[in-house]
Amino acid sequence: MTTHVRPHSAFQPDRLLFVIGAWLLALIWILPLAYAIWTAFHPSAYETRFTLLAPLTLENFQRAWNAAPFARYFLNTILLVTMVLTAQIVLCSLAAFAFARFEFPGKNILFALVLIQLLVMPDVLLVRNYATMRTLGLVDTILAIGLPYFASGFAIFLLRQTFKTIPRELDDAARVEGCSWLGLLWRVYIPLARPTMLAFGLVSVSHHWNNFIWPLIITSSVETRPLTVGLSIFATTDSGIEWSIITAATLITSAPLLIGFLLFQRQFVQSFMRAGVK
Amino acid sequence: MIRTQRTFPADTTGADLRLSGLCKTFATSTALHDINVTLPQGQFSVLLGPSGCGKSTLLRLIAGLENPTSGKIHLGDARIDQLPPKARNLSMVFQSYALFPHLDVAENILFGLSVRGTPKADRAARLHKVAAMMGLSDLLARKPAALSGGQQQRVALARAVISERPVCLMDEPLSNLDAKLRAEMRVEIRALQQRLGLTMVYVTHDQVEAMTMADRIVVMHAGRIEQVASPRDLYAQPATMFVAGFIGTPPMNLIPRNALPGLDAPANATTIGIRPEDVTPLESGAGPQVTARVMAVEYLGADQLVTLAIEGATLLLRLTGRAGALPATLDLRLPQLALHFFDAAGHRLPSPSDLSHPQAQEHDNDQYA
Ligand SMILES: Nc1ncnc2c1ncn2[C@@H]1O[C@H](COP(=O)(O)OP(=O)(O)O)[C@@H](O)[C@H]1O
Ligand SMILES: [Mg+2]
Repeated sequence: MTTHVRPHSAFQPDRLLFVIGAWLLALIWILPLAYAIWTAFHPSAYETRFTLLAPLTLENFQRAWNAAPFARYFLNTILLVTMVLTAQIVLCSLAAFAFARFEFPGKNILFALVLIQLLVMPDVLLVRNYATMRTLGLVDTILAIGLPYFASGFAIFLLRQTFKTIPRELDDAARVEGCSWLGLLWRVYIPLARPTMLAFGLVSVSHHWNNFIWPLIITSSVETRPLTVGLSIFATTDSGIEWSIITAATLITSAPLLIGFLLFQRQFVQSFMRAGVK
Repeated sequence: MIRTQRTFPADTTGADLRLSGLCKTFATSTALHDINVTLPQGQFSVLLGPSGCGKSTLLRLIAGLENPTSGKIHLGDARIDQLPPKARNLSMVFQSYALFPHLDVAENILFGLSVRGTPKADRAARLHKVAAMMGLSDLLARKPAALSGGQQQRVALARAVISERPVCLMDEPLSNLDAKLRAEMRVEIRALQQRLGLTMVYVTHDQVEAMTMADRIVVMHAGRIEQVASPRDLYAQPATMFVAGFIGTPPMNLIPRNALPGLDAPANATTIGIRPEDVTPLESGAGPQVTARVMAVEYLGADQLVTLAIEGATLLLRLTGRAGALPATLDLRLPQLALHFFDAAGHRLPSPSDLSHPQAQEHDNDQYA
């Protein structure tokens, strides 16, 4: 942040504060995770005793996995995030393309509505959405968890901005070469917007993997519950306060996301940079 | 660089491109007023004019990338102005080359064939031929970002050539190249057009490109056509003062008539034009004489340009570079056969210079009759 060039020997109190602040924040952020890892890999006797040579065990994971239908919850969550992401990419690319390249009556008003969606807290709509799902007869289905998020204002806005940066001559060239509008979207716009799509995909998947309140309200059976809801029910009712098992279950549910991020970290960071999402 | 010869089947014969009554109005301005011109099949037509005169707009109307406000476009007997671009049977090369950055050279060249579902074997054969013709065979796997400007230009040309469409549109395709490459590409594009028998519509603001490449030049100014003629006719007999003042480096001297009182000119001529190379220092022979003061001399090697002041006007004179130092005043002769007369509206009047290029006229009459 500071761009002043100072001699190395000089005391830099502002710099020191920044470094201390950064470490403090990082520590606060990592502590719960570190504690979860500690308890999950050690017998429950070591929940509050931190000795270096405490015996390691995988038993907590085994017990957690068997204590609740986590396999089913996993399936539900994977179905959910795949469905939401697919629907968002398809619907929002089409909408963004229309906003970026077509002239039609009411375009500006419609786009303003999309932007307003960005400003509205989703929680405000919980009750209204529940009523809508009941009218549609979708209560307690995976479709109902995802449906309110299909037409993402954020995705439309992001993709429209990206599409607008694509040079007009590329568009013209593709049309002279014989592309239809859909062909143009598929062959030119979507490939060139890939970094944005990847960045948005990460945001969307992690958001819906971790989403809790809405799935909690709209689901009521093992067949539909995603991991987050399943985990909370497991943690409150089934196992009392046996921390080692709860943290093992927590690690199980968040592991795929963590591992995925670590594996593709570089690509994700690059995509975010290129997509201008920071 | 362009090696193999190929010609199109003869089924496009007579497919002239006819523009009639074309107008284009944008929300804030009118870009084209009543454009009427025929661009003959198999010929190299250049749309020439200063920046902002509507050349690109006209080309985009022909391509179908914009719709005319009114007027018609015919290709042969077919009316095409209501068709989408892909149905118009033409190819286009853009100023920025418009190569797809996510596709390699081969995919870029094949883009149109792949969109139209041409069979794979046919595609491969055509790619092979065109890549060899354009000297791109070794670059097929590269992405556009890894090519030089000249190579990108070739890829853009190859994409137009492989479509084997009879009409090719180009919008200032050489303006992003350096001077040397531009000179080479002028020759190549002209050769390509002739070998393939393309009906070329080429937009440029550079009169050197227009003069060296064109069969016929359409000079445009402020959304209107000023003149349609072969390069020779355009130079010899500019139809308007705008053309006279635009073509030639330096362009024609345009002198108010009352600055040359001794001159024999029609009553309604208000401006008299004479090209800098046609003004000669007084030797002998006929023609009005003028005395002028030397204001400046620009030495260019083979030539030197002399700025002269006569009463009420300045006059540019082109002399060979070998002529020695000049005196402070010169006696000039304005040969009668080099004079061009223009009326108050800027239109050409019958002029003595009409007689001085008979061979050029005959030649052009053959071609355009
Ligand atoms: N899409 C557009 N909207 C409004 N005005 C335009 C548009 N395209 C071109 N123009 C105007 O039309 C005129 C001609 O432009 P153009 O055809 O690009 O000129 P040229 O190619 O000869 O330089 C210019 O005054 C330009 O501002
Ligand atoms: Mg232009």
